[in-house]
Amino acid sequence: MPNATAHQTPPPEKRKLHPSRSEIIELLVFSLFGEEELAGFLLEKMSVLTMEAQCLDERGSFFKLIDTIASEIGELKQEMVQADLVLEDGSTSIQSLEKDMSDLCPDQKNLKSFPRDSGYDSLPNKLSILDKLLHTHPVWLQLGLSDTEAAEVLQTQPPGTFLVRKSTRMQKKVLSLRLPTAEFGSCLKEFAIKESTYTFSLEGSGISFADLFRLIAFYCISRDVLPFTLKLPRAIAAATTEAELEEVAQQGLSFWSSPANDRLQSPAPLQQPPPPDCVSKGSQQLCLINGVHSIRTRTPSELECSQTNGALCFINPLFLKVHSQDVGGNLKRPCLRTQDGNGLERSRSPPPRPPPPSIHSLLASPQLSRTVNQASSPESDARNKHWNLDLLQKRPTPIPPPRLKKKALSLDAESGAKSAQPSRHSAHGPETASVPGGALPQQNLAGSLVACSESQVQCNGGRQRLSDMSLSTSSSDSLEFDRSMPLFAYDGDTNSSLEEYEGESDQESMAPPLKPKKKRSSSFVLPKIVKSQLRKVSGVFSSFMTPEKRMIKRIAEMSQDKRTYFGCLVQDYVSFLQENKECHVSSTDMLQTIRQFMTQVKSYLSQSSELDPPIESLIPEDQIDVVLEKAMHKSILKPLKGHIEAMLKEFHMADGSWKQLKENLQLVRQRNPQELGVFVPTPDFVDVEKIKVKFMTMQKMYSPEKKVMLLLRVCKLIYTVMENNSGRMYGADDFLPVLTYVVAQCDMLELDAEIEYMMELLDPSLLHGEGGYYLTSAYGALSLIKNFQEEQAARLLCSEARNTLRQWHKRRTTNRTIPSVDDFQNYLRVAFQEVSSGCTGKTLLVRPYITTEDVCRLCAEKFKVDNPDDYSLFLFIDDTWQQLTEDTYPQKIKAELHSRPQPQVFHFVYKRINSDPYGAVFQNDNSNHVS
Amino acid sequence: MMAIRELKVCLLGDTGVGKSSIVCRFVQDHFDHNISPTIGASFMTKTVPCGNELHKFLIWDTAGQERFHSLAPMYYRGSAAAVIVYDITKQDSFHTLKKWVKELKEHGPENIVMAIAGNKCDLADIREVPMKDAKEYAESIGAIVVETSAKNAINIEELFQGISRKIPPLETHENGNSGTIKLGKQTAQTTRRCC
Repeated sequence: MPNATAHQTPPPEKRKLHPSRSEIIELLVFSLFGEEELAGFLLEKMSVLTMEAQCLDERGSFFKLIDTIASEIGELKQEMVQADLVLEDGSTSIQSLEKDMSDLCPDQKNLKSFPRDSGYDSLPNKLSILDKLLHTHPVWLQLGLSDTEAAEVLQTQPPGTFLVRKSTRMQKKVLSLRLPTAEFGSCLKEFAIKESTYTFSLEGSGISFADLFRLIAFYCISRDVLPFTLKLPRAIAAATTEAELEEVAQQGLSFWSSPANDRLQSPAPLQQPPPPDCVSKGSQQLCLINGVHSIRTRTPSELECSQTNGALCFINPLFLKVHSQDVGGNLKRPCLRTQDGNGLERSRSPPPRPPPPSIHSLLASPQLSRTVNQASSPESDARNKHWNLDLLQKRPTPIPPPRLKKKALSLDAESGAKSAQPSRHSAHGPETASVPGGALPQQNLAGSLVACSESQVQCNGGRQRLSDMSLSTSSSDSLEFDRSMPLFAYDGDTNSSLEEYEGESDQESMAPPLKPKKKRSSSFVLPKIVKSQLRKVSGVFSSFMTPEKRMIKRIAEMSQDKRTYFGCLVQDYVSFLQENKECHVSSTDMLQTIRQFMTQVKSYLSQSSELDPPIESLIPEDQIDVVLEKAMHKSILKPLKGHIEAMLKEFHMADGSWKQLKENLQLVRQRNPQELGVFVPTPDFVDVEKIKVKFMTMQKMYSPEKKVMLLLRVCKLIYTVMENNSGRMYGADDFLPVLTYVVAQCDMLELDAEIEYMMELLDPSLLHGEGGYYLTSAYGALSLIKNFQEEQAARLLCSEARNTLRQWHKRRTTNRTIPSVDDFQNYLRVAFQEVSSGCTGKTLLVRPYITTEDVCRLCAEKFKVDNPDDYSLFLFIDDTWQQLTEDTYPQKIKAELHSRPQPQVFHFVYKRINSDPYGAVFQNDNSNHVS
Repeated sequence: MMAIRELKVCLLGDTGVGKSSIVCRFVQDHFDHNISPTIGASFMTKTVPCGNELHKFLIWDTAGQERFHSLAPMYYRGSAAAVIVYDITKQDSFHTLKKWVKELKEHGPENIVMAIAGNKCDLADIREVPMKDAKEYAESIGAIVVETSAKNAINIEELFQGISRKIPPLETHENGNSGTIKLGKQTAQTTRRCC
C-alpha cells in the first residue's frame, strides 16, 4: 500500500538490487503453474536444490539448476495433465497473477484504517485513482498552461485542486495546487517536479515514481511533502465508468469552467453512491482542521523515508498492473479491440469495466495453506462469499470439483496472508525458499518483482540479471562485457535482453508461445521446456515493464495502426520502400533517407498530440529523445531490416565492392600479424570464434544501437587479449592494427553491410561517443582491407575511399540542417569526361545560386583534376556542347530546362576545354537579374 | 544547474610519441569514481569544470602510422580541439606535427582549437627539438603549446585546461542543442555504469 510504505522506512527487500536466485526460481514456478499444490511441491524440491546450488559456482550451477528444475517440472506436468487445463495456458496464469496483485491491495488497505484515504474506498466497485487520472489527463495535465492561466483556472476551484503544467519560469514541470485562501497569502502554490533519468518526484520528497500518473495518484492519497492531499475534481472522483471519465476528458481545459464541474462542486445531486466523495471531502476537512501539522509543508527530514540517500523508489504493484493495462489499451479509447497484438489483455478489460475487481484467482494463493493461519475474520469470510459468487459469475464454464476445493483453500490462504502481512518483510532472501510453505512465497514474489523493477531504476547491474541468464548461454567467456555501455541509454532490462537474444527480430509478442524459435548461436541448448518457461517468465515481467518499455511498445503498436496519422506515415513508408526497390541509387542513399525519415517522424511524434497519454507524462524530459529513438527502431527498422539487408547486398554486389572485399579478405588473412603492423598479443583461434559469434548476434539485431553495443563488446574482448594481464594500456597505434587483423580473421563479408547500417542509421548524437569511435575504427579497418592491394606502396588508402569518408562525415554531421533530400535545388549531377577514362558522374551538393565558377572549383576537387584551368563546365543538350561562362548559374539553367514544355535530355559535363572543337560559349541571359 | 558540454578532442601525432600515455595520465590522475572507464585507451573521456560549464572531453586517439594517415579525417571531423603531439627527442615527429597542422588547416573543422604537446620533456638531455622552435611555430599558427611529460605528469592538466579556456563559451540560448546535456543525465549515466 502506498501510504503504508511511504511513511515507513523502506522495507529492506524493496531496495535490494537483485532478485535472489531463489526468488527467480519462485517466479518461474509461480508464473508457470499458479497452482498451490504443485507450486508447494516444487518449492520444497527447489529449496533443496537451491541450497545445493548455493554451494556451486554462479552461472554454471544456475543453469544446471534450471535444467534440473525443468526436468522435474516436465515430469510433474505430465502427471498433472488432466488436473487443470487452464494450466496449459501460460498467459492465463500470468494474467491471473496480475489480477491477483491488484486484488491483493484493496484488501490490505482495509486492514489499516486511513482516515485520509479518499480514493481507495471507491475501489471495490469503482475505478482506481490511477485509472481516473489516466483517463482524464486532458483535464489536469496542462503542460502548455502559463502561470496566469493556471491561476485563473485554480482560483475558482476548491482547495486541493491541482494542475500539472510546465512552468516557463522554472523550466520544469510543476504541480500547481490550490490552497485555502484564508491561510495562505496567495491562493496557489507550485511544487516543482524533479525528473531524473528514470523517475519523477516532487522536489524535497524522497519518494519517486515511474511516471507522472503514479506520482499524482500517490499524492491524492498521501500528502508527504504537500500541505494536504490532492483532490480530484468532483466529476472525476464521482465517476464510476470509463464512459463518464471519457466525457470529462473530452472537455479538456474547458472542463474547469464547465457546468459539469460546477454542478458537482456544490453538494452533489446524488445519483452516485456517496462513499468516495464524502470520504474524500471528510479527509480534506480533517486535514485542514488539524491545521497545525497538516498545513505546514513537511521537509524530507521529517519523513522517515528520507533516511536513504537517494530517493526511495516507489512502485506499487497495483498501480503497475492497472497502468500497464491501460497504457497498452487506451490508445483508441472508444474502440475496444484496437490491435490484435496484445488483444489478450485488453479483451479482458472492456471499457465499461466489470465493477468489482475482485476475482481471487487461483494464483492468489501461492501462499500455501498448510502452515497458514486458517482462522479468518468474519469480515473476510463475508468477502469470501462475495468472491465466490463473483468467481462463478465470471467463469460460466463448469469448474471441475478439484478447483473448487483449491479455491476455498486459496481464499483462506488469502486471509492468512493478510494476517501474516506485517511480518512480510522480515523473512526474506535466500533462506526463504527453505521456509516450507507459509505466506512467504506470494509476498516474496511481489517483493522480488518490485525489487526487479527497482533495480532497473537504480542500478544497471540489476537490470542485467536475467540477461546474464540468457546471455551466458551464448558464450561462456570470462571476457564477457559485464558492464553497461556508457554511451547509450541502452535498455538492458530483463525483458529486452531475453527478446534480443532470442533473435530479437520478428514476433516476440505475436508468436504463439510454443513456436520454435530460430536457431540460436549458442552452444548451450536449453531444453525446450525451459525456453518456454523463460518466455513465460518474461511475460510476467512484461506486465511490470518500465514506462520506457511501455512507451516504446505503445508507439510500436501505434505504428501498425493505420487509423493514426503516425501509423499511416510509417506503414506507407515501409511498403513504399519494399515495393520500390529502384527508388534509391546507392546503399548510402537508401540508408540516408531512412535515417532522415526516422528523424522526421521522431520530431513529429514529439510535437503531435497523437500519443495519449502524452510522452512527457511518462518519460522524464531528458530521456524522451532516447525513448523515441528506440521506438523508431522498433517501428521502422524492425519491419525493414530484411529489406535493407537484401538491398545492401544487392548494391554491394552490383558495385563490385563485395567481390573486392572478398578477394582482399583472402589476401589479408594470409598475412601474419606483423605484416599488418601488429606487435602485441593477438586473439587466438578461440577468441576469434567468440568474436565471430558476437558478430553473428549483431546481424540479428535491427537496432543500430544494439549492434554498436556488440561491436563494443568485440572491442573490449580485443583489448583484454592485447593487455593480456600486463596492465598496459593500448592506444589507437596498437588497437587499430589488431582490429584490422581480427576483422580479417573473422572473414565475414556481411560485416561490411553491418558497419554501413550502423554508420548511417545510428542516432547522430551518438556519433561522437565511444560507439562512434569504435564504429569509425571498424570502418577504417574494413577500408584498409578493401584497399589492401593498393596499400602495398606508401599511398595506402586510395583517395577515393578517403573521399567517401569525408563525404560520410559531412553528411552525417550536416544532415540535420538539410531540409530534405528531395530538395533537388541542392543537388547538381555533373559528369566528368576524360579522354582516357571515359565518363563518370557525381552528384554535388550545391547552393541554389552557385555560379559555374564555383561548380568548376568543386568539380576540380571532386574529380581530382590537377590543372583545373584546362577544364570547364559544359551543358550538353541537343547533341551540342555549350561551355558555361563563369558567372552563370547552373541550377537556374537546370530549372529553366526542366520547366520547358518539351523536356529535353541534357547533362552537365565537366571536361577539358580544348578537347572539344565544337565547344561554344553558352550565354545565360537571365544571369543578370539574379542575386 | 551546470550544463555539461561534450567536446570531441582528437589526438594526432607520430606513432610512439606518447599520445595515449598523455591521455591515460590525464584521465587516470585524480581518479574519480564518478568517471566511467571506457573499454580501452583509444577512446577516453574526462569531465573538467570550466567557468560555469562542465567540459566533457571525448578524446579520440588516432593511429600514428603512415598507413593509417588516410583515416585521420574521420577521426578529426567534428572535433572541437586537436592535440598534436611530438616527441622532443625526435626531430622527425616535429615534422609530422607540421604536416598535421597543415592538414587540419586545410581540411579540419573551422575554428578547431589546436594544442601542441612536446612530450617526453623528462628526457630534455637528449632533446632534438628546441623549445624555442615549438613556441615560435605555435605562435605562428595560433596554437597552444606546452612541453609535457606523461611519465612524470608534467603539464598534462595544464594542456587540457588551456584547451578548455580556448573553447568559446556557449551562448545561453543554445542550451537545448546537442552539444549540451543537462547535469542530471550525466549523473544518471554514471550510476548506470557503476555496476
